[in-house]
Amino acid sequence: MKDERIDFSALDPAQDQIRWARIANALVNQAIAERNRSAVVGEQLLHWGRAVLLVAAGLCIVAWSARLFPGSQPPPTLTQEMQPALRLSSWAANNQMPEPADLFGTLRGY
Amino acid sequence: MLKPDVSADLVDRVRRGEAEAYAGLVRAYLRPAYAVALSVVGRPADAEDIAQDAFLKAFAAIDTCHAPEHFGAWLFQIVRNRARNFLESRGLREVVTDGRRVLEIVLMPPESAGMREALLSALADLEVEDRQVVLLHDLERWTHAEIAQALAISEVHSRQRLFRARRAMRVKLDGQGSPHKNEGNHEG
Repeated sequence: MKDERIDFSALDPAQDQIRWARIANALVNQAIAERNRSAVVGEQLLHWGRAVLLVAAGLCIVAWSARLFPGSQPPPTLTQEMQPALRLSSWAANNQMPEPADLFGTLRGY
Repeated sequence: MLKPDVSADLVDRVRRGEAEAYAGLVRAYLRPAYAVALSVVGRPADAEDIAQDAFLKAFAAIDTCHAPEHFGAWLFQIVRNRARNFLESRGLREVVTDGRRVLEIVLMPPESAGMREALLSALADLEVEDRQVVLLHDLERWTHAEIAQALAISEVHSRQRLFRARRAMRVKLDGQGSPHKNEGNHEG
């Protein structure tokens, strides 16, 4: 049986094998570089998020300290006052990013 | 074309960041991606760029490849979309001659340039789907089963498109006096 294929060799980009191998290698290198870059950015954001949580926890403690001075209303219990700071510290210590709603809910008292 | 289990394994390893897996997918699919891009844009240099861009996009979005055993079909969809976007952005709907293409041809041996021009001209007269089938079959040497899977068509449909594409191309190429057949003993 005769092969009826059209001869497309003039359109074959891999006819120049060295050039084609160079293109393929460059593509692989670029894809890996982009993946590594994304990973670094994600890691950086995680670190920044952790730092932000630590700062927020510190602010909570400062705010709580300021409210130690008695006012006209009965002061909340120590456990109630410490709750936001404890939660923020816990998130930071466990390297967790809270949902925005959880974060706002926790900081509502401040 | 890769077997489904091999394809799934390579995609899984790309997700884990293994460099060799990236190379495996590129080795298997860069040329077919070029063929699909060429079937849409009709210009080899643009098809090469589009195939590479599509691959980078596919790798960046590899987590959204829900059927890794059919990575090729997923990649080709990205290639087609990027090729169509390319045409829309350039306002090109057909093969036209411009400075870049002239440069490509000038840099080629005269006999190659003539054949290349004849082939591109004959391809330009086909429907896009016919071009995809004839390029994947006759340039990439894929079987009808592989083409059917990658293009989400039936094997019968693939055979019909190939028959129609070859017939139309031969009429055009014979009219230009260009050699166009491989005289072998194999039919894929």
